[in-house]
Amino acid sequence: MNEILLAFRKAFYLIISLDRELIEIVSLSLCVSLTAILIASVTGIISASLLAFRRFPMRGLIINLLNTFMGLPPVVVGLLLYLILSRSGPLGFLGLLYTPSAMLIAQAILAFPIIAAMSYSSINSVSPDIRLAALGLGATRVQASIAVVRDARYGIISSVMAGLGRVMAEVGAVLIVGGNIAGYTRVMTTTIALEYDKGNFSLAIALGIILLLISLCINSVMYLLQRRVSK
Amino acid sequence: MRFLRNCIWMFLILSMLNVSMGSAETRIRCASTTSTQNSGLFDYLLPIFERETGIKVDVVAVGTGAALEIGKRGDADVVFVHAKEDELRLVKEGYFVNRHDVMYNDFIIVGPPDDPAGVKELRSASEAFRKISRVKAPFVSRGDNSGTHKKELKIWRKAGINPGGNRWYLEVGQGMGKTLRIANEKRAYTLTDRGTWLALKDKERFDLEIMVEGDKMLFNQYGVMAVNPERHPHVKYKEAMRFINFLISEKGQRAIAGFRDSRGNQLFYPDAKGFKR
Amino acid sequence: MNLTMKNVSKSYGGCVAIEDCTLTIKPGTFNAIIGPNGSGKSTLLRIASLLEEPDRGEVTYSDSTGVLKKDISLRRRIAVVLAGNTLFNDTVFNNVAYGLRIRGYKRHIISDKVHDILGRFQLSDRARRNVRTLSTGEAQRVVVARALVTEPWYLFLDEPTASLDPVNTELIEAVLREYSFRDGMTIVMITHNMFQAKRLADRIIFMYRGRIIEDADSSRFFTSPEDELARRFISGDMVW
Repeated sequence: MNEILLAFRKAFYLIISLDRELIEIVSLSLCVSLTAILIASVTGIISASLLAFRRFPMRGLIINLLNTFMGLPPVVVGLLLYLILSRSGPLGFLGLLYTPSAMLIAQAILAFPIIAAMSYSSINSVSPDIRLAALGLGATRVQASIAVVRDARYGIISSVMAGLGRVMAEVGAVLIVGGNIAGYTRVMTTTIALEYDKGNFSLAIALGIILLLISLCINSVMYLLQRRVSK
Repeated sequence: MRFLRNCIWMFLILSMLNVSMGSAETRIRCASTTSTQNSGLFDYLLPIFERETGIKVDVVAVGTGAALEIGKRGDADVVFVHAKEDELRLVKEGYFVNRHDVMYNDFIIVGPPDDPAGVKELRSASEAFRKISRVKAPFVSRGDNSGTHKKELKIWRKAGINPGGNRWYLEVGQGMGKTLRIANEKRAYTLTDRGTWLALKDKERFDLEIMVEGDKMLFNQYGVMAVNPERHPHVKYKEAMRFINFLISEKGQRAIAGFRDSRGNQLFYPDAKGFKR
Repeated sequence: MNLTMKNVSKSYGGCVAIEDCTLTIKPGTFNAIIGPNGSGKSTLLRIASLLEEPDRGEVTYSDSTGVLKKDISLRRRIAVVLAGNTLFNDTVFNNVAYGLRIRGYKRHIISDKVHDILGRFQLSDRARRNVRTLSTGEAQRVVVARALVTEPWYLFLDEPTASLDPVNTELIEAVLREYSFRDGMTIVMITHNMFQAKRLADRIIFMYRGRIIEDADSSRFFTSPEDELARRFISGDMVW
């Protein structure tokens, strides 16, 4: 109990002292996760739209796979990506292993199935009349599809938030492909894992509190954004 | 709305720049072990090296097994671990070059103060293991192919016992700190490096004591070696050699000798060839 | 611009919706399609408005230059009001502006046109509201306004005043009549309300079980229908 109180005090001190190392770690976490989410959102929403509006072979299988991959263990993604990005692996020549870009890729891979599958189901739950209504007002097929996607935007925003939640809290994959290198690929979650390893429990919890506060901020911004969109 | 959107774009562009700018300076990658990193040695040593040469060393801290694998695959420039036999074998197989002893510390056997196996103050580690197995006292093993784990298995071999599969023998597959924590909870014996033990025992108020120390078998040699540039042409061999030469130089060795943990314990003893202690 | 349907049939999963329907709609006319539920009115409307392809038969739009290609520029001369609430989950303004935005109108033109039509439907003070906060009558007015704002040559409506009170019905009818008389807009409207058909339409198309049973001028249809079924339908004797 004492240690938890201590953790809150430490978190408070870390925040008000604007510790330089902490700021670096936090900003790297945000950069990596937000960029990963941006990539995963664009590709995920486009994939979801194609799945919802086009009929092609293997479509059912792909939807099934996406739903399965929502629960993909991060460690497995990390290890596979490690083997691919390793100097001895197929994409080794890119020299991406143990860089922020590698973490970004890992997080984008983790977020993609969540965003794609959840967006697909919210696009699918839009009444088919919406598409017909758009066509009946002179929309092209693409414009009508966009109208349906627009109508599903709350569900899509939720899916992006869910993806962000997953990658921000993720540690297994970024630890393997990022390497938790101090000042280079060390992010919030890997720092927490490291401090736990070192036995600095209260510091680890303090960092956890800060991570939660950041998530709270992002969620609030998204919530406000959503409200503005809906007005 | 538009303003907000612009802000987000600005942030993303800046963040991309930030990510890509990171690789401008000279940096090499060193695969090493969690125990070395968690002791704080790198935080102390690397800034000295960076001041001297301008080379930044990125440390990827994993288990010894993983560190050697990372080096073999060419994903690091230099490897700094403690598994001398494996290191020498991999040098012979051509994966690494220029291996040097750098420093040592030692392993100790710790256990609950009531010492159910009666091993306290034995001089021989293998004798202690034999006694532990005889009374089936719980023993926690790293079980993660790390240097410590390999050392432990070597002691079991010498004791002539195959502990695997016994109920009193717990393979946890975790780092040293976690393994100690589990031993503490389970009232079990375990083998640990002295550095991690010293770093954690007060902080976590372990109810464990040192049982066996000083056996020659418990000696823990750290070595450094460069990834063979003939096998992996992309490695920064020149910079890696500067790092190795720094570690075994008079200056590097003195720095290692001068390193103390936060409670003032010396954790590593330099022993590079030609360096007089 | 003439709309011609020739021997058009459509079925859904083996269930016949319309069968062998032939029909010509002349420009500038106000046409009402009546008939019991399930008689194929909505299917006919969706096929006539090019939202669906017929299984057999053909639908052509033609003008003095000949038959027109069924491309986007033709479809942009047609607007459809489907049955039920098909509004986008958005503000009243954005719903009504949709048809203009996809046609690439400039911002200020869109704003002018939208506010103009909202005024006609007495919705000016609702522009910024989300459509989900509207009453049934208001929502239905938005649906019709959304189609009219695109100034189509052909306007198709599927029961635009179903379940509306007389005040809302009156309002929508007034605007439709205005567009029909003043601008010569061609209107095809499905309705269950015989009095409404009588009030508005110059021509009545009576459908029963997927077929066009009677197709006649409004005045003649209501006074001396040729078909026995149509006669029973107007007199209220028909039980289905």
